[in-house]
Amino acid sequence: MAESAKDKVKYKILKALDVSGFTAFDPVIRLIFGEEPQKQLQAIVKYLVIPFFFVLACLWIWTWMGPRHKTKSGEVPTPDIVWESAVINDTIADREEIKEQDFLLEGVEREAALAEVTKEYAVLSEEVKRLKELVATAEAEKAELEAKAIGPIQEKHDALKAEYKLAEKERDEGIAAISEEVAAGKADTASLIAAIRDDGVATDAERAELSALKSQIDEIRSQKYKPLEEARKSYDKVADAQFFMKTRLEFLDKRNLTVKLDEAQSKLDGYMTDLASAGSAKDALKIAKRAVKAEESVDRLEGQEYASAVTIYHQTKRSIFTVFVGFFMAAFVAIPVGIMCGLNKIFMACLTPIISVFKPVSPVVWLLIFQIVVGAFFPDPENHALLNFLNELPLISSLEINPALIFSACTVAMCAVWPALVNTALGVSSIDQDHINVARVLRLGFWNRLFKIVIPSALPLVFAGLRISLGVGWMVLIAAEALSSSDGLGKFVWDEYQNGSSLTFANIIMVCFVVGIIGFLLDRMMIVLQRFVSFDGGGTSV
Amino acid sequence: MMTLKKWVTTAGAALALSSLHGEMLDLEKDELKFGFIKLTDCAPIVIAKEKGFFEEEGLQVEVIAQPNWKQLLDNVINGELDGAHMLSGQPIAATIGFGTEAHIITAYTLDLNGNGITVSNAIWEQMQENDPALDTDTPAHPISAEGLKPIVEEKLEEGEKLQMGMVFPVSTHNYEIRYWLAASGIHPGFYTSEDKKGFTNAQVELSVTPPPQMPATLESGNISGYCVGEPWNQQAVAKGIGVPVTTNYDIWKNNPEKVFGVNAKWAEENPNTHIAVVKALIRAGKWLDETDDSGTLVNREEAVRILSQPNYVGADFDVIKNSMTGYFYFQKTDKREMPDFNVFFKYHSTYPWYSDGIWFLTQMRRWGQITEPKPADWYHEVAKKVYRPDVYLEAAKHLLEEGHIEESDIPWETDGYKPATDEFIDGVLYDPKDPIGYLNSHEIGNKDS
Repeated sequence: MAESAKDKVKYKILKALDVSGFTAFDPVIRLIFGEEPQKQLQAIVKYLVIPFFFVLACLWIWTWMGPRHKTKSGEVPTPDIVWESAVINDTIADREEIKEQDFLLEGVEREAALAEVTKEYAVLSEEVKRLKELVATAEAEKAELEAKAIGPIQEKHDALKAEYKLAEKERDEGIAAISEEVAAGKADTASLIAAIRDDGVATDAERAELSALKSQIDEIRSQKYKPLEEARKSYDKVADAQFFMKTRLEFLDKRNLTVKLDEAQSKLDGYMTDLASAGSAKDALKIAKRAVKAEESVDRLEGQEYASAVTIYHQTKRSIFTVFVGFFMAAFVAIPVGIMCGLNKIFMACLTPIISVFKPVSPVVWLLIFQIVVGAFFPDPENHALLNFLNELPLISSLEINPALIFSACTVAMCAVWPALVNTALGVSSIDQDHINVARVLRLGFWNRLFKIVIPSALPLVFAGLRISLGVGWMVLIAAEALSSSDGLGKFVWDEYQNGSSLTFANIIMVCFVVGIIGFLLDRMMIVLQRFVSFDGGGTSV
Repeated sequence: MMTLKKWVTTAGAALALSSLHGEMLDLEKDELKFGFIKLTDCAPIVIAKEKGFFEEEGLQVEVIAQPNWKQLLDNVINGELDGAHMLSGQPIAATIGFGTEAHIITAYTLDLNGNGITVSNAIWEQMQENDPALDTDTPAHPISAEGLKPIVEEKLEEGEKLQMGMVFPVSTHNYEIRYWLAASGIHPGFYTSEDKKGFTNAQVELSVTPPPQMPATLESGNISGYCVGEPWNQQAVAKGIGVPVTTNYDIWKNNPEKVFGVNAKWAEENPNTHIAVVKALIRAGKWLDETDDSGTLVNREEAVRILSQPNYVGADFDVIKNSMTGYFYFQKTDKREMPDFNVFFKYHSTYPWYSDGIWFLTQMRRWGQITEPKPADWYHEVAKKVYRPDVYLEAAKHLLEEGHIEESDIPWETDGYKPATDEFIDGVLYDPKDPIGYLNSHEIGNKDS
């Protein structure tokens, strides 16, 4: 009995792995349940351990190759630098959260936090001072080393330059002499031309020599001095932390919501007492006006929220939301139209030219078209009823839906609609003739036939199409966001590229992984859905 | 104090309602979105937000990076943004209908100077060959385009035109690089009613590239030089891909650079909000230019710390720091003190001068962006349509009452015209009262009678 319960669990897990497409972990589960350990171990080595080492090897190649490929924007970041940049992005997000908490803190808690932060700020300030000196010493060291390395080359360069200058002067004089001789008819013209030509060749050679020395000097100058780099890095890190503490102090003190509210309230109270003792009607009017204003500002403050900077998590959330909006738009159009296409040859013939022409169009072109077309629907986005409605819905209100999101989603939909449409049409048109015959025999009506026969048998292909659509949509979205500067991962990459900071490259590679992993998860999700609707039990490709 | 009193009584009579001492303005709108381009001269907007100056005016402001100048302008026109960091030429061009037409106004000049012209290493070497005086690690400034001329001519003989980059057709950068080239007799090309790219008769072709992409475009060899704001010149030095040859301080000393532009319709609907925004910006500008007794800029390092955050300019702290704290690297070996490289408040720089607008209009006419000759009155009219010192002075008056600024910070009594100046690289006199005369005093460019 116990045995069979265990088996039940085992098969459940195996089934789950199968449905989600993680069959590679099959042997691990079987091993845990003690099924043919020998065989399972073999499978684990073959399909898990070897791939794992392969990935490790790739990482090693990356680590090894990265620093060896120098670009003008710096070295290719190694995995650890990419990880570091991910940590920095996380810190930025964390700090935003802390600032928001600080902004909202009240009473005793606020005072406690204020005291603590003040202490920390003092400590960090000392640290910053110390590190600044370190940087200065490292800078001096570097300058000294550089001077030592460059000195001799520079000397050589200067000496050569002086020498070449003399040589050139000599050659010029020589040429002048020959030309005089030519003028006097003593020498032939060819010798003059040869002399000038030689002069040109010699000058070029000298220049090449000098610029070679110069580039040696430049090379030395552009070399990084490790201690300085490290000193700078740690200085920057601490200075950033110090600055963060300084901002926290502000948010805990004079920019704190409750502090501001109290101030406004006391002002209001002051006016109220003044009003009670106002001497004349004119004074009363004046004070009352002020009181009303103070009241308004209290109201406004009460509604105030912390204006958070956009973090990578927010960008990711927004991207995922946008891709689903686009995806559902695509599905909403593709499935009915695809079914019509599959059912009716004439309809299919009508749509074929449209599908064939628009399917290959680049997402960038669609984006531009939608930007113009969709933009026209939102002449005044601030007061647009639909946008306001969407931005008041509970879950998505934080995503700040704007026209940019809508036309990014439209672009996604436009590019994602084709695979779903074509697959649906194919699924519907390739229904088993027997099923249709059965429907005929049963004399099913159109709707019955549609919902009982056509859709169920086409579903696996429909979902296969939707899976491709979602993948395409996700890929398109990143490009669309980058171009339309609609908040999301695409904009994050684009902004990073534009920042051109030392972390740019690492951040771009980090996003590469984020996008890849999310894309992978979306795909898995579609696989699971697809497996649930397909009754043939056939596997899906990875 | 006398002058102030006079001013307060005249202006105050007209605006009696808002003259409550130290009161918050009656804001029409308190949640605002401002756009900016990743350049250090967006600093006043970023500082006003980060240091809480907007908050103190009761404004909740979101500051959003824009991909390029065109999209920024479009977003201000379509209402997606309430205001933005703009090129001085943008409100003017939009108002007169060059490019996208819309009435854009400005009541605040963000900064002076701040641009540089960078050429690629190869061009710099050739320039050094052409002019031995440049062949040192610390050549004398200002460097004119004389050394570039033989290169341009050589290229022309080969049937090619030297390609250079600027950031927008109506950008300060376009007019500056044109001025620099033309001052040495190199024709940068005319705009005509058909040629919207400005290549007609050009010896050097200037094309548009967004600022952050400049270094990459230079590196890829598509252009041989560019004129752009910071940190993109220092970035070229840091990456070793180019050499800044001159800054716009040398082309025109203390030239106006960026403005804070808003839609005229928006300003009409939200007059008090506009004043509150300008108030916060004035305070930010003053904060940025605050000095200690020895004249060192005390707040700039903190400003750089803020600007180097990835959601603002995002370049490395050390790169932004150079120009913002008063230094400029012309080469890795050539670090110079340039205390006025970025001016955010000094010299009454934040006042919206009519004379600035007129200079840009003369340049638009000089290069054919304005295709028809216009009478002198037209220049003054347009400048007065775009530049709004009334809003600025109203904001300043509030700040003075609240004790945030001093009376000497603001040119209360000016008629909006700076005195005539000849502090240009070619020494030509610019008298803002005589735009036509100025137009005709240049050798290259359209002339009107």
